[in-house]
Order: sequence, then structure tokens, then C-alpha cells
Amino acid sequence: MRALLQQLILGLLLGGLYGLAAAGLSLVFGVLKVLNVAHGELIMVGGYAAFWLFTLLGLDPFLALVLVIPLTAALGLGLYGSLFSFVVRFDEETRIKNSLLVGFGLALTLHALAVRVFTADERSVTTEYGGQTFALGGLVVPVGRLLSLGVALGLIGLTHLYLARARWGQAIRATAEDWEAALLQGIDVRRAYMAAFAIGTGLAGAAGSLVIVGYSISPAIGLEWTLKALIVVVLAGLGSLFGTFVGGLVLGIAEAASAMAFGGPYREVVGLLIFFCVLLARPQGLFGRS
Amino acid sequence: MLEVRDLHAAYGELRALSGVSLRVAPGEIVALVGSNGAGKTTLLRCIAGLVPARAGLVRWDGEDLAAVRAHRLVERGIAMVPEGRRLFGRMTVEENLRLGAFTPRARAEREATLGRIYETFPRLSERRRQFAGSLSGGEQQMVAIGRALMTRPRLLMLDEPSLGLAPRVVESIFRVFADINRGGVAIFLVEQNVRAALALAHRAYVLEHGRIVGEGRGADVLADPQVRQAYLGPLAIAR
Amino acid sequence: MRAPGGADLRWLIATMLALIALAPVPLVVRREDLLNLGVVFLLSVALAQSWNIIAGLAGQVNLGHAAFFGLGCLVTRSLWVTGTPIALAVAAGAAVATTAGVGVGLAAFRLRGAYFAMGTLALAEILRVTVGNVLPDISTLPATTIAAYRLTHRYYAALALAVLSVLVVAAVGASRLGLGMRAVREDEAAAEASGVGAFGLKLAAVALSTALAGLAGGVFAYYHISFYLQHPFSPAWTFDAVLITFIGGVGTLQGPVLGAAFYVLLKEYLAVRWVDVHLLIFGVLFMAIVIALPGGLSEAVQRVAGRLATSRRDAGARLTG
Repeated sequence: MRALLQQLILGLLLGGLYGLAAAGLSLVFGVLKVLNVAHGELIMVGGYAAFWLFTLLGLDPFLALVLVIPLTAALGLGLYGSLFSFVVRFDEETRIKNSLLVGFGLALTLHALAVRVFTADERSVTTEYGGQTFALGGLVVPVGRLLSLGVALGLIGLTHLYLARARWGQAIRATAEDWEAALLQGIDVRRAYMAAFAIGTGLAGAAGSLVIVGYSISPAIGLEWTLKALIVVVLAGLGSLFGTFVGGLVLGIAEAASAMAFGGPYREVVGLLIFFCVLLARPQGLFGRS
Repeated sequence: MLEVRDLHAAYGELRALSGVSLRVAPGEIVALVGSNGAGKTTLLRCIAGLVPARAGLVRWDGEDLAAVRAHRLVERGIAMVPEGRRLFGRMTVEENLRLGAFTPRARAEREATLGRIYETFPRLSERRRQFAGSLSGGEQQMVAIGRALMTRPRLLMLDEPSLGLAPRVVESIFRVFADINRGGVAIFLVEQNVRAALALAHRAYVLEHGRIVGEGRGADVLADPQVRQAYLGPLAIAR
Repeated sequence: MRAPGGADLRWLIATMLALIALAPVPLVVRREDLLNLGVVFLLSVALAQSWNIIAGLAGQVNLGHAAFFGLGCLVTRSLWVTGTPIALAVAAGAAVATTAGVGVGLAAFRLRGAYFAMGTLALAEILRVTVGNVLPDISTLPATTIAAYRLTHRYYAALALAVLSVLVVAAVGASRLGLGMRAVREDEAAAEASGVGAFGLKLAAVALSTALAGLAGGVFAYYHISFYLQHPFSPAWTFDAVLITFIGGVGTLQGPVLGAAFYVLLKEYLAVRWVDVHLLIFGVLFMAIVIALPGGLSEAVQRVAGRLATSRRDAGARLTG
């Protein structure tokens, strides 16, 4: 029983990062109707950024967020301008399909770049507090991972606040709902797209930064995290960042439970199965509101 | 103020507008009537920059709008209430209205304008924190009109505002149009409810199959027997 | 692709000639590394063509293609090393792959566009993880088989498969089946509305596609002396097929062939010093093609040929005029 609870706690902590990873993807998908399947690679880039900031400057990964987020957001702007700005010229259905393809090429490119620049080895960051744990009623909770969960939740909260209150945050929401109506109110939809994409990428970078604290990264994690983010987005639907966060927690717990039930190697399978079943149950896609 | 000259537009092979010319002067109410598929919505969307023109000219205050991106029309004083309202359903009434004052010029007077809109549409004031998607058709139309007014336009374009609304609601909305106009805002009104539109308008155009087939003062067009037969049905003739 | 005529017929002839020209190679060339390169090229052509059928002709982007390649390989290998004649084993592998393909189609065709892509990827990954756990070992041929191993047999098997794949794509493209598939690709809703049985067509496409993929898997099993049984289930095989097809020209007959030639040669050229740079190049090329040159290398070749033709025509006019 205790072993199960222990695993569930760990799954919950990981799930928070799933939620953050998915939030960026969800935002981009919801606003631009673009499916950036290179999202996992962007998470990887964020992780490497944090790793090198730690290795070269001794910067704590949590503090490094202050640099990593703007850096990856800037990368996002660059990617939008050079790639996805062309994709958004199509109608919705073509757009999703083309963004899938472009994202695929981008993922491949980023992955190959990472392998060349960083080699294929796994990297992680061990801080002094990172290895520490504290006891919660007989269970062991790693401090670093708990902090990561908190930061993830905090970032989602900040993003939510921005979208709810800030002028451009509301403009982004309006664009997500009806971009033509947004145009008619004087909102530069192109700029809203750029902003949303940059924020989404920044969130991905943050997720990568947090992943490197309690876990590890390598160039290969891209596909894995893209799938995780996709699973959560499909599970939670679009529209609420907090809902996405909760979806991430659910996935984390589900994975932990299935690993206990069927063995470690099948951890991935439960998420993929959920994903496929939810997709089947909602063939109208993620925009259909039931 | 607004000048449309020899406008052509098409959807692929399908010609929607074949040489449309019209104008709207400051302070006027101009109506555009025509049956379904005549091209009325296309014309409005073309002016608003949502649909590219194949040929022809749209001029606002003498400036050719072809080079102006759609979202910049609001700064210049053109606002549109699109067909079907197109509200941001998952945002509240107040958020929808406030978003109308997105541009700097409108933002400067946002609170004052908002206050006036709540005076004009008291029902919206009651429902200000409700999600726009949960309102009735008539209330949504009020929000849409209010949202457009928040941009502080000099020209308000409306695409079928009476669509799906009960007659009493239509009446009250058209009274609001008259009020708005008295405040100095020109109105370009595309309507299928020919009687109400022509009763309100100073001038009117008739659009059929992408061409202007009639023009004149509102009352005159309303009295025209061909118009009456086409749009007001056999009963109208008997009157 | 239209019914053979004009440019497409020329491409068909060119492609077939190119492939047939590869037939006498083993008689002339003795170097094993070149023959291996040939096998890799021919297998790539076949796998890419198989993907081309469902994605290029029918417009259904299937990202789980490796699953069928893997199934064909797994079944063929298992039967073959336990004594079944290779031809029968390959056929059985293809049969299993096709059955699985039809099953996936029945399950997943409710999904449209990108959701179909994601759904098939998910299914393929589930299969890969399961196979990796249940059969984590390397499969090695028994000593007697290794002693009797003849590379030229593998070469001709791969060549036959490549030729078959090109012929299948040509035949489908020219048939009413292909016409229906293209209608579905352009606008599935409209096709349905006009009475085209979209579901049946998609099913036919996936059956042909996975059958060929299964055959390719079988040839892979025949070719390699030892490999991890989960290896052919890796999504890298799908991605290779996608890259090759798009770079060459998706939906065309010659696309997978052009793309495979480009891909294999570039990879070979870069292999020694610049490992993985070829993927970088292909990634960038792929994005450029999706955005700017959807017809891929085929389109590029045709444009150049067109410009040469016009310049020749102009020269001719100047001569006579």
C-alpha cells in the first residue's frame, strides 16, 4: 500500500510537469489552430539551456528560468516568423495538417542539431537541495521535484492571469475564439498569434528547465514529451489552463498506477491507450464542444 | 466619406460582386437591400478587408483601403457588426464590450462610452458578468452593437442585424440605430428586413446578383413597385 | 497522378528504366558495400511507396507505418528461422500486416486528418513498447543459414519488391480506385456527399499500403543477419518513409524513388564524418518543401525541364523565325 502511494506521489509530481508541457501546446493549438509537434523538442531545448546555464555559470535551474523563458520565447518568435506564419495562411483543416508536417520537420531538425551540439548523452542537474527529501507521513517526497511542481503551477497561474486581465492577453483569447471578429475590433491577429506562440514556447522552455532538475534530458526526449503533451491536451480539452494542469496530474498518476500494476515498461502504454480512446470518443477533434 | 467604386469580388470561380459602386456620406443612414445570395455580406466583408477584391476601389476619407490591413480600419473610424453577431462567447458581456475599445483612440474614452452603452441597453448592465454565449439572440445583438460602438466609429456597418430576432426586439434595435445616427455616426445597413431598413434609411441601394440595380431616397425605394413586389410580397401591392 | 499520359507516362518509363538498370548490377559489381547500399535504396523505395499509397494517393497521413513494417518483419523472421520457406514466410508476414492494417483502419478511420496521424502514431508506439518488452532479444540467423547467405539473392528480392511497389502505385493511380482516393484526399466530406464510398476507399488504400509495408518487412527479415526484433517497429522507419516521399514529391509515382535516391546517397556520403547531419539537412529540406515546394524534387525537376524545353523552343523559334 505504502509503495503504491509512494509511486502515486512521484507520479503526481511528474504530472505537474506534464501539465506545464501541455499548457504551452494547448495555448498554441487553441489560438493558432496549429499543432506544433516539435513542442517536445522545444522542451528539450529549454532543458539544455538550463543545463548549460548551470554548468557554465553555476546558475540554479529555478533562477535560470528568468533567462530560459525569454530565450525560448524569443526562439519561438523566430520559429513563428520563419515557419508557422506561413502555415496560418491556410484554412483550419489544412492548417492543422500542414502544421503537423512542418512540426515534424522542425522536430527532426532540432533533434539532429541537439545530437550534434550536445551529443546523445543524458544530462541532468544536481543541486544541493535537489537530492534532499522530506518525509510526509512515512512517504518520501523529493524536494527538487516538489519545488518544480510548485513552479509549474505558478507559471500556469501567471499565464492564466495574463490571459484573463492583460489587454493583449484578452486579445489572444478573443483571437482564439473568433479571429475575424477580433480583427473587427482592431486586434492585429498576426501579433496575437506571435504572442501566443512565444508564450507557448516559453512555457515549453520552462518545462524543460524543470525537467532537468529532478529528472534528466537527452535529445531523444522530444518525441516522448510531445506525446505526453498531446495526451494531456486531448484528455483535458482546450480552454482552461488549469484544466490542462489537472489533466497532467491525472496522466502522471495514471502512469504510476499502471507501472505498479503491469510493470515499469508499460508505463508509456497507458497514456497512449487513453489518448487513442479519447480521440476515438471525440472524432470531431479537440474543438468540438459537447 | 466611404466610397466604393466598381468593386468586383469572387470566391474562386463564383462571382459575388460585379462592379458595385456606392457611397456613404457623413451622418447618413444608407441601407443595402437585396435577396439572399445577392452579395450583400460579401460587399461588407470586402469593405472591412476580410475578403480581397478582384478589382475596383474602396476609399475612406479619400484613402484607398486596399493597402490597409483589416484590423486598422477601426482606428480610421469604421466598425462592423458582422452577420450572426460573432461575439466572444466564452468572455463576459463586459469583457466583450471592453475589448471593443482595444485601439488607443477608443481606449481613451472607454469608461464614458461603456457608461453610455449601459444606459442605452440597461439589460446588458444587468448581465454584464454573464458569459456572452449564454445570452438570448436579442441581447447578443445588443452586445454586438455595443461592442462596435465601443470603437467610437464614424461609420457603423451592420450585416443583417434583425436576423433571428423577434419583431419587437427589431423595433427597439432600429430605434437605437436612429439614436446612434442622431449622435453623428453614419450607418451602412445591410438588411433583409426591407421594410424596417428602408423606413429608417435616408438613402438606399438595391443589390441583385452582385450588381446595384436601384438607388434612391429611402422612402422612394420603399415606394417603388418593383421593390415592393420583389421584397414585400403580393400583399404589399394590394396596399 | 492522372492516367498514364504525357508527363506521368514519361516519369513511369524513366522510373522503370532506372530500376531495371539496377538489375545487372550484381553481375558486374562485386563490392558488398555497394550491393548493400543498393538493397537499402530498394527497400527504402518500397517502404516509401507503400506509405505513398495511403498518404499521397488517399491523403491519410499514417504515422504508424512502422508497425506494419515491423509486423511483416517479425512474422517472416519467426517463421523463417523455424524452417518455413522464405517466400511463404514473407507472404505470411504481409498477410498479418495487412490484417492489422485493415484492423487499424476500421478502428481509426473515424479520425480525420491530424487526429488520424496522431492516433496511428499512438497505436504504433503501443505496439513497439509491447514488442520491446515481450521480445527484447536480438534475432540472429542460425549458422547454416549464415553460411548459405547470398547477398545477390537479397538484392534481387529487394529489386523485385521495389518494382512491384512502383507498379502497384502506377496501377492504382491510373485506376478508378485511384480516382476515388484522390477525391477523398482533396475533400473527404465532398467526396462522401457525391456518393464516393470514402470508407471503402480508405480501407483499400490501407490494405494495399500495409501489404506492401509487410512485404518490405519480410525482405528486411530476409536481408539482415541479426537485429533487435523491436528495431523495425521504431517510428524512425515511418519518419524515413515520410521524409523520402515528401522530398521526392508526395502523391507522385516517382517521388519515393527520387527521394530514396537522394536520401540514401546523401546519408551514405555524410555517414562517416557527419553522423546525423543528414537528418538535419532533411529536416530543413522537408520544412522548405512543405511550405514552399509541395511537389518536392519532382516538381523541381519538372520546372527545370520545363525551362530547358522553353529555352530550346525559343532557340528553335529564333532559328526559324
